[in-house]
Amino acid sequence: MTIATLSRRTLLQAGGALLASTALPTATLAQAGSRLIVAADSEPKNLNPAIVASNGVFFIASKVVEPLAEASFDGKDGLAPRLATSWEGSADGKSVTFKLREGVKWHDGKPFTSADVAYSALSIWKPLQNLGRLVFANLEAVETPDATTAVFKFSKPTPLQLIRNALPVVSSVVPKHLYEGTDIATNPANVKLVGTGPFKLTEYKPGEYYRLTKNADYWGKGEPKLDEIIFRVLPDRAGAGAALEAEEIQLAAFSAVPLTDLARISKVPGLKVISKGYEALTYQLVVEINHRRKELADLKVRQAIAHAIDKNFVVDTIFLGYAAASTGPVPKNAPEFYDASVPTYAFDTAKANALLDEAGYKKGANGTRFSLKLRPAPYFNETKQFGDYLRQALAAVGIDAQLINADSAAHQKAVYTDHDFDLAIGPPVFRGDPAISTTILVRSGIPAGVPFSNQGGYENKELDGIIAKAAETVDTATRTELYKQFQKIVATDLPLINVAEWGFITVARDTVQNVSNNPRWAVSNWSDTALKS
Amino acid sequence: MRLLRDLVRTPEGAIGLGILTALVLVALFAPVLSAGDPLRIAGRALLPPFTDPAFPLGTDRLGRDVLAGILHGTRTSLSVGLAAALAAIAIGLCVGLTAGFAGGLVDEGLMRVVDAFQIVPSFLLALAFVSVIGASVPVVVLAIALGAWADPARLTRAQVLSIRERDYVASARVIGMHPAEIAFREILPNALPPVLALSAIIVAAAILTEAALSFLGLGDPNVVTWGSMIAEGRNILRSSPSLSIFPGIALVVTVVGVYLFSEGLTKALGGRRLEP
Repeated sequence: MTIATLSRRTLLQAGGALLASTALPTATLAQAGSRLIVAADSEPKNLNPAIVASNGVFFIASKVVEPLAEASFDGKDGLAPRLATSWEGSADGKSVTFKLREGVKWHDGKPFTSADVAYSALSIWKPLQNLGRLVFANLEAVETPDATTAVFKFSKPTPLQLIRNALPVVSSVVPKHLYEGTDIATNPANVKLVGTGPFKLTEYKPGEYYRLTKNADYWGKGEPKLDEIIFRVLPDRAGAGAALEAEEIQLAAFSAVPLTDLARISKVPGLKVISKGYEALTYQLVVEINHRRKELADLKVRQAIAHAIDKNFVVDTIFLGYAAASTGPVPKNAPEFYDASVPTYAFDTAKANALLDEAGYKKGANGTRFSLKLRPAPYFNETKQFGDYLRQALAAVGIDAQLINADSAAHQKAVYTDHDFDLAIGPPVFRGDPAISTTILVRSGIPAGVPFSNQGGYENKELDGIIAKAAETVDTATRTELYKQFQKIVATDLPLINVAEWGFITVARDTVQNVSNNPRWAVSNWSDTALKS
Repeated sequence: MRLLRDLVRTPEGAIGLGILTALVLVALFAPVLSAGDPLRIAGRALLPPFTDPAFPLGTDRLGRDVLAGILHGTRTSLSVGLAAALAAIAIGLCVGLTAGFAGGLVDEGLMRVVDAFQIVPSFLLALAFVSVIGASVPVVVLAIALGAWADPARLTRAQVLSIRERDYVASARVIGMHPAEIAFREILPNALPPVLALSAIIVAAAILTEAALSFLGLGDPNVVTWGSMIAEGRNILRSSPSLSIFPGIALVVTVVGVYLFSEGLTKALGGRRLEP
């Protein structure tokens, strides 16, 4: 077609055809039987949850590869059985016996046995997995007396409580017959997952989507209820809300819809905003403190900073109410450990000013006492906004905080390797047990370069002692009591300041059923998720 | 003065000059028009514009005054734009003059460096520079200048190449003037006008680059800039579009003002360029 013959009519026709061609696939996607279309915002390079125990991987892989047990709102010990049906620890804390489910098959048809569990534990969880390294540090052997029993043997007492709390995250089982004798890190099964879960990973188009289809041989009776799950890659966060409204997707988890859009989205008919289902994935908003700085080494200054922060403002204005004010290093979502009877720091500018005066840092002629470098972590909008807020809150008590923004890599290097910060704002995750999460932020003796750990030079022998003792205390009650002491000391001595804790938000069409019915729902297997037609 | 008269005679020049004068006044008197730190949390969050006389343009996500942000943002935008353009033109003039006047190997060498800088997209260069060194106003200025000096360098060199063959340059050489003196007193003043016309465009581009850097979170977080205001407003574009629209309008007005000024300047200089 030459330009000369390009009339308005042909242009309109061509335009119409173009529109139709883009509209067609989405229309067919939305109509198909029980196919759930979900927004995905990242495409992990390695999809193997046994190696990379992170939420980005679990979001997709947890439907394919299952753990021994999943978190549960009402199950015993807060767990629901998956590949294991029961677990029992010995009195000396040196062995744990798992009874495994019978009649489970891998997606390639081979039977699932205790040998797979033993192989995953010894060859992958313990040596390769980010969290498994900590939990299974003292794992010596896994005995398999029969095909449905696995006995974990530890060289040192390892608390069953810790293992239980960590099970949903660290215990993804992968097939021994595909991994044995190969280079695990480069095994093709890390991308083309083979598991026992309710869905099989059938197709992955980089930059477009992951397609998961029903596993007809799944061990759960009548499950899965969906025929297909499509994870559509939508890297632009602003796009998820629009895609939900246009019914291109039916579910967006992990706060893919920004908090500020929720008030509007919740009024759209047919969409619901759900803040449940992330209880085991609580993020904590923390002010990390560099104790090498002389002013910040003074407890009074740290108390003053704690008093200068209006936690209600943070919760209501920055998180728009989708968060809770923190009291200490353990979030309220961990009721097993949470202790409310710790010292708290009410918002009180006058008291903060008085404390700073007492500490000997009087206001200078220009109204400031001293200057600090403040580095907010760039991962969330909310951490950056809290940075802006904290600068103003500190200005109100005469501390001049200079913000330094950096990308993730530069931020991590500056804070956790180079210690080039005075205050930093971090969003650490509480992983169900203090031993594998919040204690690392205050324990001393961690080498420089370990991300999301205590790099502020804080050292408290008493606290270190409690943490070390709790790590090998087998008795659950004693261990819990130790962590209550831990919370008291942290809240009193303020090695860091816990400001708020928050989970994510799911937005779903109301046709999607059984959403958020466990504390790790977004990263659980979705075997009972269904679509109402 | 004659240049100013010529400038005001063109309609573009008059409007552009008007806008720029207004902006410069706003920038100079921002601390008087709105006292205190424009980033301080002044009121209730997300007040809509034109509802509260204390906050004529409303407040943002954290309750910061939008009007204060825009007034103080004028300072940042103009100062970064002007400083970056000045730096770019200073570097460009020196390099162009040296290359054109010295000729030979020096010329070849310098021009290949210019080529190298022209090949790299200037925004990417600024982005890389700021993310490596860290965001602060001087670094942003340098980053923008780094991507903008190549054009004035080429232009200056071309001018110098033609001017250095003129009779008055030859006579200056004959009477034994020092080459540096010839370069700076005889050639530079005559090579300057087209470069000055280009400078306004560089200022406009620098303002936009600064806004884009801030939009991407690579501006100085301790000063308020229009780019960062737009970026913060973007997240709530659907519910409070005014947060992005007002700084956007400010940006458009400024850039249009600078462009019109540069058009007028080019026209006003047009008649004078060939005069010795």
